[in-house]
Amino acid sequence: MTSAQPVPITGLGCLCAAGPNLSACMQNLFGGMRVPRPPSRFSTTHPVRFPVFEIMDDLPLPGAGLSRTCRLALAAAHEAVLDAGLPPDLLRGQRVGVCIGTTVGCTFNNEEFYRDFRSGGSPAPELVRRFLQSNPASAIAREFDLNGPCQTLVNACSSGTDAIGIAADWIRSGICDIAIAGGADELSRVTYNGFISLLITDSAPCRPFDRDRKGLNLGEGAAMLVLESARSASGGNRPPRATVLGYGLACDAHHLTAPHPDGAGLKRAMHDALAQSGIDVGNIAFVNAHGTGTPDNDRVESGVLAEMLPGVPFLSTKGYTGHTLGAAGAIEAAFTVACLTAGRIPASAGFVTQDPALPVSPVRTVTAVRTRAAMSQSLAFGGNNGVLVIGGSPA
Amino acid sequence: MTMRLAIQGLGPVGGFGSGTAALERALVTAASCPHLTPVPSFSADTAGLEAFVERKTLRRMDHFSRMAMLGAFLALEDAGRLTAGRERLGLVLASGYGAARTTFAFLDSSMDHGDVCASPTSFSTSVHNAAAANIAIVLDLHGPTITVSQFELSVPSALLTAGQWLTAGRVDAVLFGSVDEFCPVIEYGLQRLHADQNPPPPQSSPGGTVPPGEGAVFFLLTRVGEESRYGVITDIRLGTVANGEPRIATDAVVVVNDQRGAMDADTTAPVPAPAPPRAVSYTPVYGRLPVGPAFDMAIAALACRHGLTAATRNHAEPAAHPIPPPSHLLNAPSITCLVLGRDNTFGLITSSGRG
Amino acid sequence: MTTKEQLKQILVSDLNLEDMTPEQIPDDSPLFGQGLGLDSLDAVELVVIVQRHFGVEIKDMQEARSAFQTVETLATLIDERRPTT
Repeated sequence: MTSAQPVPITGLGCLCAAGPNLSACMQNLFGGMRVPRPPSRFSTTHPVRFPVFEIMDDLPLPGAGLSRTCRLALAAAHEAVLDAGLPPDLLRGQRVGVCIGTTVGCTFNNEEFYRDFRSGGSPAPELVRRFLQSNPASAIAREFDLNGPCQTLVNACSSGTDAIGIAADWIRSGICDIAIAGGADELSRVTYNGFISLLITDSAPCRPFDRDRKGLNLGEGAAMLVLESARSASGGNRPPRATVLGYGLACDAHHLTAPHPDGAGLKRAMHDALAQSGIDVGNIAFVNAHGTGTPDNDRVESGVLAEMLPGVPFLSTKGYTGHTLGAAGAIEAAFTVACLTAGRIPASAGFVTQDPALPVSPVRTVTAVRTRAAMSQSLAFGGNNGVLVIGGSPA
Repeated sequence: MTMRLAIQGLGPVGGFGSGTAALERALVTAASCPHLTPVPSFSADTAGLEAFVERKTLRRMDHFSRMAMLGAFLALEDAGRLTAGRERLGLVLASGYGAARTTFAFLDSSMDHGDVCASPTSFSTSVHNAAAANIAIVLDLHGPTITVSQFELSVPSALLTAGQWLTAGRVDAVLFGSVDEFCPVIEYGLQRLHADQNPPPPQSSPGGTVPPGEGAVFFLLTRVGEESRYGVITDIRLGTVANGEPRIATDAVVVVNDQRGAMDADTTAPVPAPAPPRAVSYTPVYGRLPVGPAFDMAIAALACRHGLTAATRNHAEPAAHPIPPPSHLLNAPSITCLVLGRDNTFGLITSSGRG
Repeated sequence: MTTKEQLKQILVSDLNLEDMTPEQIPDDSPLFGQGLGLDSLDAVELVVIVQRHFGVEIKDMQEARSAFQTVETLATLIDERRPTT
């Protein structure tokens, strides 16, 4: 990878259990607030009620009739477009790209429909219609009447990071001048059961990088970034919030669910992201780690961070948001931008006791950081690793 | 986006069999017969995979991953690169519905035995990127890997990023693949959704009269520089049908894959696609499935390589687009594979034998 | 049929050990790594399999690790905890 042009980030939108918009999220992160609780929208027959990070039901969402994932995506997209100061009229019919990561958002897994079908019933096809209308990238393009490339990435838990990196590549190559990029995922009974079956769900609020960590808690949410070419962004009336400096992705090719024990793919992705950004490791002020709270993930990540970025402060924000799967990389990229702007990072929630088996540990308190650049990274099922290098606002 | 991508290898798997020879045979003899159970469909057989991989390796792999894996091996073999270095090889996979049958197998596990007995193997195999992960593991691919799911536009959308990676030098070659599997649950829903629509959906649309298909098609793509074995991809575009778009060269032959939903048919703008004989459709050869455009791409690639003699099969209803005489695809200066999707969207992939 | 025999049949069928017969699995062969060659995903599947076929709950990976050493150790655990019918 050779170094490439920075891509301006001109707008941000985010909602998750930490807050209904980005500024509310940051306020809660810096205030150390987190609200894990048992799932309220579905029940299971598990003897334990594993906590989740849900968005409150009273939050109004656009996109009635679409999947919850799409509605979360639309809410974040509206916030980001508004934040970018782009009047919707300006976008209509334009070659604006949409690149969105998700997991649940592309899966037809409706239990009610399937239960009826498999017992010989004739379920009404409305749920299939909703599924077909709920591709997250298409839904955003439709909402803003855009006329550019749409891509929904289903790279499991690195999807949100990958969507932003790929959209930045599109802008650099002139595939589009503006892109809406991010990730979205709703909390679902199906993924809840799935992660519990893998024995990587914590029955207590998750504890990323802590000695006593037992696994992740699921969350839900969405975050969107508006990316623009330098030419398009300079036409606006405010400086960009930040820039995408570099992106790397690489595959462990090791195991379907377990990360490579030495983090081989993560290191390669980091290396490529730094190479594309054209900056030295010494300029990385902090790392927003994947930090799910599973024993394996955190061990691998801590090892790689100690080796590649010794002494650089890092945190996991999943203690505030839960693991939002396809949205996680995007939510964490949005937080990374907000932290660069604020010049500080929140305490890594859930981290209390240092794990002697981990070479490095996250920050325990709100910590001041430089604002030059930071890294946000995701590890996923299938061995995918995605890494973004984000540059602070030049102002 | 205009770009120049070379196709070095081709690995098709479908109801017609597997490998380029099987696809050519189906095109020439129109011998690809749909199976009749559980509903008429083109089902793909993956027995050929054992020539490449030990059975033990396939132990946990579902049909979806196996189809993709077979396509990947066939494309590498066809390119003569089964043993070549893969250090700077990317993997881009497109799928409209993902591993749908395994998704329902996971639901079966909790419905049959309770939530505490939900199967972790089914869950992790049902994730959309499981096929790409399995391919990366078996082929030992450490480069960039993504899976794209954009329903009927999955193929052009994923190809756009594959092309960008090659053009910008992120990788030196891309194993570009597509896969969809027949799923009775989704098919039931599509049939119900479109049953009472008037006018009926286009024959290759979800719920249309062409039987559903399944399969995988893989391509080994490089930058143009080394000679291309299957012509050159020159243009990839996605957008909305409006204001004269999609614009297509007047002398191009257009392979149409009309996947507009029935509800779209009333409201869509007229498509500025050429009339027969310049427009052709091959869905009756491989069935209707979201990643159908990958099969069209493969047929265009074969035409670019050696002069394909394509025949059309008579289907239950007259083909909307008669197949042109054999020389037609060959003599065209370029072939545009056009897919029409829901909400007035389109994707197109243009290739040319003359590079 | 003994618990061990039953368990071997279930291992072959439910974990798709295609090139093995139940009789080929020694009682004391390690299930993971060099022995049967199972991995971490098989381990969590095995937790579900044991619950489903024998009604015996294994509550986390720590417990699983000690129970899943060999067919012998797992059969012993199942026999100890199996609900009496």
